[in-house]
Amino acid sequence: MDAGELLENAKALAKQTSEYQGHLPPDAPAGRELPEAARAELLDECEDQFSQLQQLQNEIALAETESVQNPAFQTVSRANALTAELKEWQELQPKLLSSNPEVLLAVGKEELSRLNKQLEMVLSCSQAKRDKLKDVLKSEQEWLEEKKEVLKAATERVTALQDESDRLSEKGVLQDMKKKIQRVKDYHDNLLETLSDLLEEHFPLPHQEGNAKKKRKDLLPEPSVDLISLHDILELLMNKLLESPHEPYVEINGTFWPPYTEMLLRYGIASRHPEDCFKIRLEAFY
Amino acid sequence: MSLKPFNKLPELNTANVLLVENEERFQKKLADAIVLLENNVNVIVRLARSLPLPLENAESRPRIDLVVFIVHLNSEQSLLSAETSLKHLDSGYFLGKVCFLVTGARCGTLPYERLTSLKKMAATLNSPLLMTEDKTAEGVNTAAQRVLAVLRVAAGLVPMATGLYLSSLTRCTVPNDPDWQNQD
Repeated sequence: MDAGELLENAKALAKQTSEYQGHLPPDAPAGRELPEAARAELLDECEDQFSQLQQLQNEIALAETESVQNPAFQTVSRANALTAELKEWQELQPKLLSSNPEVLLAVGKEELSRLNKQLEMVLSCSQAKRDKLKDVLKSEQEWLEEKKEVLKAATERVTALQDESDRLSEKGVLQDMKKKIQRVKDYHDNLLETLSDLLEEHFPLPHQEGNAKKKRKDLLPEPSVDLISLHDILELLMNKLLESPHEPYVEINGTFWPPYTEMLLRYGIASRHPEDCFKIRLEAFY
Repeated sequence: MSLKPFNKLPELNTANVLLVENEERFQKKLADAIVLLENNVNVIVRLARSLPLPLENAESRPRIDLVVFIVHLNSEQSLLSAETSLKHLDSGYFLGKVCFLVTGARCGTLPYERLTSLKKMAATLNSPLLMTEDKTAEGVNTAAQRVLAVLRVAAGLVPMATGLYLSSLTRCTVPNDPDWQNQD
């Protein structure tokens, strides 16, 4: 118990004492002298006791002999002494206090005040103990909170690590790949769309133009078959290249409008078969 | 002339203890601790290297209620001195007015026989044997408390208890020694 705690306890005790002071009768004047008669009676009793003591002492002095020191004698004398003590106790009558009321009052008062002092000590001691236990409880609760926080942090970390390991696992890789494929497909679709838009805008179907020209120039022979658009030509070429890479050549027939074929050849988008001039293929861009 | 337990009249509210220690290392500290601990009665501690006590102030010396022999296990001389001193004690003292205090029993390098012979001696004399620690203040305090408890009873300050009664309960015994069992 340190000094501060002691001080606290003393203060608490003082407070408590002042609280119940009002309920107590005022203290009898301490150190009040016993009446003369009671005093004399007690002194007489003491005298009696002392004379008895002196008598016993004389008896001892007369009976005493120079003792021998050997274990056997020791044991015998011990046994004698124990027997004597046992007998003494068996015959012992409880000795009552003097029956004088004044003496009894003084003794009772002393006893009560001692008891009071002891109880006060018990009180302050138990209060100190209680306070200490409270402190312990508080610190334990703080500790619990800390541990809970640690647990929370650890759980979060575990989750994060699990996520990471999932991402690195086979499934994660697969999903990653799927995403990439999807992205590439999207890009591909986008490209195709742009291409078709471009072709539609800048390379319209030749027969429309042909129709327009027909009104002005009736000399030009009407094509025997329906021409296909540049879009379709390119599609044919590409499909052929992808379906049979060993034989990518496409035969030029009547549906191919010659100016488009010519343009493809000139700008190096397509190339002719080295032996058969009616066959063309898409240039290998890869 | 040997020291006798009942050759003088007792004094009121007074307990006299005699600490016997050959080395004079521990008795002073122990005496201070004992005097500090007891508040209710007047405790007088007397110190001696060995018995017998000098004759010149035998008359003025009060009745000794308890004789405490302090034995250091790390010195053979300590044990021998206690043994010779015991011869100068009246057999009346062995009815609960003697106790032995042993220090250094915790040290493992000491010869075990020394402790055994001391235990045997205490057991033969039906006296309590207290193990104490003399190096730390706490140990000295504990030793003082224990000596004081024995002293209060031996001096007759505790109602309904006598030194003989207490020593019957606290006396040292050597249960594992076959010799001792035969004697018993």
